[in-house]
Amino acid sequence: MAVTQDNIVKNQDIKPWKFNLKPMIICMLILVALMGTARWYQQWAAWDFGLDATDPMFDVYWMKLFWAQIIIEPILFVIFVGYMWLTRDKHLNDLAPREELNKLILWISMLVVYAFAFYFAGSLYAEQDASWHQTVVRDTSFTPSHIFLFYGTMPIFIIIGFTLFFYAITRLPFFAKEISIPLVLVVCGPFMLLPTVGYNEWGHAFWLMEEYFTVPLHWGFVFFGWSIIALGGVLVQVIKYIIDLMPKVINEKGELLS
Amino acid sequence: MSLEQHEAKLLSAISTPGSDAAKIARGLDWIVVGILVFAIIAAYHIHMMLTVGDWDFWVDWKDRMNWVTLTPMLLVVIPAALSYPFMEKFGLPIAGTLCALCLMIGEWASRYFSFHLWTYFPMSMVWPSIVIPGLMLMDMVYLLSRNLFVTSIFGGSAVAFAFAPANWPILAPYHVPVIHMDQVVSVADLIGYTFTRTATPEYLRMIERGTLRTFGGESTLISTFFSAFVCMILYFVWWKIGEWLTNMGSTPNVLKKYVGYSDDVEKEKQ
Repeated sequence: MAVTQDNIVKNQDIKPWKFNLKPMIICMLILVALMGTARWYQQWAAWDFGLDATDPMFDVYWMKLFWAQIIIEPILFVIFVGYMWLTRDKHLNDLAPREELNKLILWISMLVVYAFAFYFAGSLYAEQDASWHQTVVRDTSFTPSHIFLFYGTMPIFIIIGFTLFFYAITRLPFFAKEISIPLVLVVCGPFMLLPTVGYNEWGHAFWLMEEYFTVPLHWGFVFFGWSIIALGGVLVQVIKYIIDLMPKVINEKGELLS
Repeated sequence: MSLEQHEAKLLSAISTPGSDAAKIARGLDWIVVGILVFAIIAAYHIHMMLTVGDWDFWVDWKDRMNWVTLTPMLLVVIPAALSYPFMEKFGLPIAGTLCALCLMIGEWASRYFSFHLWTYFPMSMVWPSIVIPGLMLMDMVYLLSRNLFVTSIFGGSAVAFAFAPANWPILAPYHVPVIHMDQVVSVADLIGYTFTRTATPEYLRMIERGTLRTFGGESTLISTFFSAFVCMILYFVWWKIGEWLTNMGSTPNVLKKYVGYSDDVEKEKQ
């Protein structure tokens, strides 16, 4: 086929495909920095100032940190979720397929950040709690491991999860037309880990200490952790949708049409 | 099953080497891998640590009764649930192996950074159970049979049957008897006495007790058989739960009018 001026001009209008992974990489680096700093702080301050909640030094080194988290995190939640809602696309029905694909892939890449944040809460800092409490007798609900696990890592993945949920229902037609139940489970199930802390702390305060980690009192966390299995459902829905969306954006040779 | 026109077009597009479509498809694969690895580490690890964690944390809890019985039962749950979307939706019989690998990454990171570097236990006391062989066998049965019932019976039970043998080579030296303060104890017990867990009193250590010991040297085998029986049922039940969670579908969005999807606009488009 002869290359005409028209073809060249037409091709120049089409922006070449490029994955926009910058937001994902930046967020991952921020998480690594936050979690790494938290872990360093624990190593530095836990044994010296974190053994006794009645020690005035505990207030200085640990409770101040706790109150800072409790104040900053709800503010961040409102800022991020509010921003997503207030800057929503009010004409999603007119969204071009190429733009939709860009946004959808950006959203999927941000799910990596959500999963990464959930890793710190569900794996590294959660089991760390066992290493601390079964070694050092816990005297209150606020301990060097809890202050980062329950009031640090958990709110962080909750903020990310809800922000992504609101991004989905305000910018992605697939999730805006109908609410995906697996997506609700993937966001709200892990969120319920935080309210479960209330039951957990009530049980530990009035009923039993943390002599062993597999105590049934902890099984609420397990139940809500299972909800992440619904991620399989989210991926199935999204990939099915991409199979419908991509042919609107590319031709048989795999070249972009718009 | 025949492909629809748009699916055939997409298949042709992503099969063209170096095309934009191929780049998008391959890039998307890697992103999904990232999501799955971190999410599975978190979900599987929290499930294991809070159900059979104590037997997994400490070498002196790794007994022939509770550890051998309970661990495979809880191990099979999440891989079984994920087997449904992986195999039935993506044709990948890797749910067990992927879960095992993710669990190992999560556990080793935790044991090193938390148990070893923070609370100063030796790694020889806190190494995690070896779980990869049984879950690989489970995947293998699913790959070969492509049948839920066959995989429940042979794949589910394989998780339990492979568990004790897989761990035995590393655990055996810890069961060598030693004399400590005129008492016969195992090397694992001695390590446990040496590195005190202040909040975990010795009298609460739940290791083998009761009549199982009357079976003499067969304790591990009896525990394994019981565990295998329960694993068969659990595999089936959790595969069905995975199916249910995967196919939950969607529900109408009452907020859609705020993003440009009023009923009138949709009717107009149709």
